[in-house]
Amino acid sequence: MTGINLRGIDKRYGSVDVINNFELQINPGEFLVFLGPSGCGKSTLMRMIAGLEEVSAGEIHVAGRDVTHLAPGARDIAMVFQHYALYPHMTVYDNMAFGLRNVGVPRDEIDRRVQEAARMLELVPLLERKPVEMSGGQRQRVAIGRAVVKEPLAFLFDEPLSNLDAALRGRTRIELARLHQRLKTTMIFVTHDQVEAMTLATRIVVMNAGRIEQLGRPMEIYHRPATRFVAGFIGSPAMNFLDVDRIEAPNGFVAVRLPDGTTVQTSVPAAGLPTQSKLTLGVRPEALSIGAAEESDVLVGNAEVVERLGDQTFAHIALRNGELVIVQAGADSTISVGDLVGVRLDHSAVHLFDQSGIAYHAQARSVA
Amino acid sequence: MHLKVGNKFGDRLILAAVIALAIAWIAPLVWVFALSFKPDEFLAQRTDVMLSPPFTLKNYLNILGTSQVFGWTINSLIVACTQTLATLLLASLAGYGFARTEFRGKNVLFFIVLAGLAVPEQAIIVPLHAMFADLQMHNTYSALVLPRLALPFGVFLMTQYFKAIPKDIEEAAMLDNASRLKIFFRVILPLSIPAQATLGIFTFLNAWNDYLWPLVSASNPEMYTLTLGLASTQTNFAQSEGLGFLMAQAVFASLPVFIVYLFFQKYIVAAVSGKTVR
Repeated sequence: MTGINLRGIDKRYGSVDVINNFELQINPGEFLVFLGPSGCGKSTLMRMIAGLEEVSAGEIHVAGRDVTHLAPGARDIAMVFQHYALYPHMTVYDNMAFGLRNVGVPRDEIDRRVQEAARMLELVPLLERKPVEMSGGQRQRVAIGRAVVKEPLAFLFDEPLSNLDAALRGRTRIELARLHQRLKTTMIFVTHDQVEAMTLATRIVVMNAGRIEQLGRPMEIYHRPATRFVAGFIGSPAMNFLDVDRIEAPNGFVAVRLPDGTTVQTSVPAAGLPTQSKLTLGVRPEALSIGAAEESDVLVGNAEVVERLGDQTFAHIALRNGELVIVQAGADSTISVGDLVGVRLDHSAVHLFDQSGIAYHAQARSVA
Repeated sequence: MHLKVGNKFGDRLILAAVIALAIAWIAPLVWVFALSFKPDEFLAQRTDVMLSPPFTLKNYLNILGTSQVFGWTINSLIVACTQTLATLLLASLAGYGFARTEFRGKNVLFFIVLAGLAVPEQAIIVPLHAMFADLQMHNTYSALVLPRLALPFGVFLMTQYFKAIPKDIEEAAMLDNASRLKIFFRVILPLSIPAQATLGIFTFLNAWNDYLWPLVSASNPEMYTLTLGLASTQTNFAQSEGLGFLMAQAVFASLPVFIVYLFFQKYIVAAVSGKTVR
């Protein structure tokens, strides 16, 4: 097992800074996911680790060895590409054996490794086929097999599931989790899909504009997002944001006033919060519930859209000031479009964001 | 392919036009083939016959009876095959360089290569002759082959084809510890077989049919290529007699080309239809 250390990594294309002074320690055996929107630099970062892109500045260490200027093949790292990148003119066996032959692994050893990987990935009946004769899922398994036989120090996955249909994506995700449990090798996975990140990662690096917005365990990132960007990026449907004014509260916790005049007493400690009066309140759909419009301390609005997903219902409520909030109602909710309802907040689950987007949370709750 | 009912008339019209063009294209070839089996004396009277007797193999026997014809065929084969293999190697290496590597002046160099497409052969034939005369290389295989190796079309074709091969396949090979040369020969080159075949056939046909440069460079009959040799046997420039022999020469000279095309036509179709690898 080995760790990867990224020290002060810069990447510039001409005068454009894509990644600036990036620092990260990836622990041995960890499943680390780079998560972020398109263009945030996550794939560039992975390609720099692989050696497919030069770094403009900084150092990359794998297992304590400086690999910054080594060729991709000399880094002892395997990569699974988004479009599989199999050799179309070679059989599955030759695709997996090619890399081993290049470094002079004895034929018997190559055969042992290929057969073992093929058994693990259920590829034995396909070994003599060429990529064109296989489905997308099978090709992806071959691509993973090609990486596995190299017994690398670390695996890199560049959005490997994005070309698969929804059902196959779910299955392959589970196979990858099992693979990690079995091999216990360091794995780095790039995706813009938060479900993949949340389900696979030991830790998630949420990236935005070439820098780390937050690094943490999946549930930590979900429940205690560091910034408004992270709060909005993680969770489906996304967190609701409402502009609020801070008002004085005598109990040491922050109270805020919504545009319609409703006052909300939060569980966010006042200490440490900047003195600015304009804040943003963030609350996830599951921290909201539907009540009667006549109740006290509720936001009042009309149901504009009701999405029934079977096990849960999402109601889009247009508040009196025109803002829209999404509420997760129970599966049996009777709410209908046009209903006038009250929206209750779980005060212990609201987040506040200052004008620079920094998050302030209710007092710590235990997260998985 | 399913045709829409409303388009049936239009489709039939297009089909009829295509058939008419095909007949117009193939009719002279069939005529040449038919006349090659007619006695010269008969053709001196009339040439508007194709399938009716008399027939003769005399014209072909006359070709085979010319003592140097096999030597000329061997010369043509040596020149065409060498030129084809060398062009494929050079155009592939140059195309790979232009498509996949970065170096200073790449765009300027590529422009210069493409500019070669605009230079007519006749414009450089005299300087070429002078250069090879200075080098005392006329009447050698090298003289027949070397001037044809710089093929701008080949470099352009291979550059475009290599650009269409997904880059991540090459990157996967880099991660598989393959050297640049190994990536080229073991991964990229096998993927470019359709383009190689197209360029190979194109080059072979050009080399086989080449007349002007061998006419300038080869003055020794032993170094004649087949086209040059057959032309040298034609003493009757008005072609008022010996027409059957002339037609037989045309058929004989075309046979290798025809066979090459038969073997490789699927690659031509694949390349022309724009198929690539994924």
